[in-house]
Amino acid sequence: MAAQALAAAAFREGNHALAFPFFGAERRGAPVLAFARVDSKKIRQRTQVYKPDYVVVLDDKLMGYVDVTAGLKEGGTLVVNSPLPPEKIVTERPVKCATVDATGVALEVLGVPVTNSAILGAFAKATGQIKLESVEKGIMDIFGARLGEKGGRKNADAARKAFEKTTAGMSVGGRKFKPVKKWLPDYKELPLSLGLRVTMTEAGRVGPGSFDVNKTGSWRTFAPVLDDAKCTNCLICWFYCPDGAVVRGEKHVSVNYDYCKGCGVCVEVCAPKALKWVRTEEVEEKLPSEAIA
Amino acid sequence: MMQMKTQTEKKVVTGDYAAAHGALLARPKLIAAYPITPQTFIVEHMSEFIADGKLDADYMAVESEHSAMSACIAAEATGVRTYTATSSQGLALMHETLFVAAGLHLPIVMPVVNRTLAAPIGIWCEHNDTMPQRDTGWLQVYCEDNQEVLDMVIQAYKIAEDERVLLPIMVNLDAFILSHTVEPVDLLDQKMVDAFLPPYKPKHAYLDPSDPMVVGSFAPPEYIMEARYQTEMSMQAAREVIGEVTEEFADKFGRDYGGLIDTYRMDDAEVALMTLGTVTGTARDVVDSFRANGKKVGLIKLRFFRPFPARELIEATKGLKALGVYDRAISFGSGGPSWIETRHALYGHTDIPVTGFLAGLGGRDVTPENVGMMFDSLLGLAKGQGMPHVSWIGTRGVEP
Repeated sequence: MAAQALAAAAFREGNHALAFPFFGAERRGAPVLAFARVDSKKIRQRTQVYKPDYVVVLDDKLMGYVDVTAGLKEGGTLVVNSPLPPEKIVTERPVKCATVDATGVALEVLGVPVTNSAILGAFAKATGQIKLESVEKGIMDIFGARLGEKGGRKNADAARKAFEKTTAGMSVGGRKFKPVKKWLPDYKELPLSLGLRVTMTEAGRVGPGSFDVNKTGSWRTFAPVLDDAKCTNCLICWFYCPDGAVVRGEKHVSVNYDYCKGCGVCVEVCAPKALKWVRTEEVEEKLPSEAIA
Repeated sequence: MMQMKTQTEKKVVTGDYAAAHGALLARPKLIAAYPITPQTFIVEHMSEFIADGKLDADYMAVESEHSAMSACIAAEATGVRTYTATSSQGLALMHETLFVAAGLHLPIVMPVVNRTLAAPIGIWCEHNDTMPQRDTGWLQVYCEDNQEVLDMVIQAYKIAEDERVLLPIMVNLDAFILSHTVEPVDLLDQKMVDAFLPPYKPKHAYLDPSDPMVVGSFAPPEYIMEARYQTEMSMQAAREVIGEVTEEFADKFGRDYGGLIDTYRMDDAEVALMTLGTVTGTARDVVDSFRANGKKVGLIKLRFFRPFPARELIEATKGLKALGVYDRAISFGSGGPSWIETRHALYGHTDIPVTGFLAGLGGRDVTPENVGMMFDSLLGLAKGQGMPHVSWIGTRGVEP
């Protein structure tokens, strides 16, 4: 919706604009890509964007394992949702960079960690390519149509607040990335009927049980944290967890942070209130999660 | 394209919204649909229009696509305009009833969001859902952008309901590349649409208790040949009607889509590529860059697959040295459906090589480089360099 609102904002300024998502058949919170093109004339090309002028990162944890600047044009700008200043952002090469704690702004203004409206305020500030007023109108066009006048207004406020809080500078280069490996067999190697047994490929394990190595805990923004003493081992949370991430124990349950995606159902159903709902950043180092390696 | 004659509201919307808004303006009386990704937004928007009081229609939440089409058939036979939409596996489940809609000459309008069919299962763009339905008696048009989707839903009713045609029509839009992509769309003025598209008043099949009629009765061999011939005559008549409706729409709304096909920079072109769906937009940019380098290339946009524009293609390909035909689907054991039909249409009318390109199956991105490779091959082909009948572009392990 961020890319859509940006397109609507650009249209408000008399431009042609086009925006589209690319996602897998996954769930809310999974990493997704969205693209936007803006031009003074009609845009006819409908391919994905491989060499962007601007890259916007809504989840800075992705920067640990994806080189987000890989396609960024020389002189292009990176906009990151992060509480850190730009000079603390480490990328593969130093690039123009702007940061804002969009999650913080979203929690404050919207009450939920949904950052796609706030980040557009940062984009306006960082790039100077679009007026904040247009961004607000674009948000009203897209978010307002879905959430109503009041919901749209709140999201526009989040963008304004983020605009004010955005700091611009340069990122620091030097982050090394393992070459991205993806299993891409040619037609002779691709198993017939895509029938896979447990198979090791150059990009990791595929087939049954591949989630043993493909950990999905990094999707979460909040984590449930258990107070062992309060847990009565009633197992309601174990029963309700949609992902099998609550593990049974002798005296109390525990959370498997490698797979917990932070949906919060366990916290909601916990009768003795033994589970607390904590923003992941605040507890990350204490959690035994490896996330996605 | 001509300049807009009127100033109407433009909004940044998805292709799915454009498909729904077109239906809103056409004032159908019954919507029966079953949701399937990536068509879901269309039916959600339709039910919202009804819930918000913007559309006076019944919404039937059915249990399958087979039922959705059956409900539309039954409702249409009581003399009302109907609307549904589907995609991929949903269209496959409708297959049987598609024949019924066409055989009963019911002008149902149905957007299909083109999505790949399992296996392997995917949600992205491929034309292997609609291409296998080409023999059901439905008209088919493929769209390039969201504006064309909206404009074609309205034109589709006008074409389908014409007494010379009276056949159902699929308005095809590429999954995600249109369905989930936002861009500015002129949402048209209701009064102008009303003037362009009057209410549907059928005479041939109209179930009225005060004047009873049997529709779709059992037919022994004495009757079916003639019934089939009628359907073929309707399909042939659609060619002329499509031309007329294209002109009237252009006159009233200022956008001329060219009819059965559209052409781009074909004057003095030595080689041309024919595309359908969204690759057309990308190919326009590629044609411009080739032309800027002095290479005489042109583009033919295949809009209607049914009826197939044979005469128009014979005319458009005159003077070419080579023609390439792009497909986003394959008929296994032969080649891309548009390529097969184009060679058939041109047989006896031309000696130029007509080669097929397959790209973008399962939603793989078709890049300007991919399209450039097609034009390079065609320029080589025009100089007498050999190439296979069908080339797989961007397929690992396959020499393009």
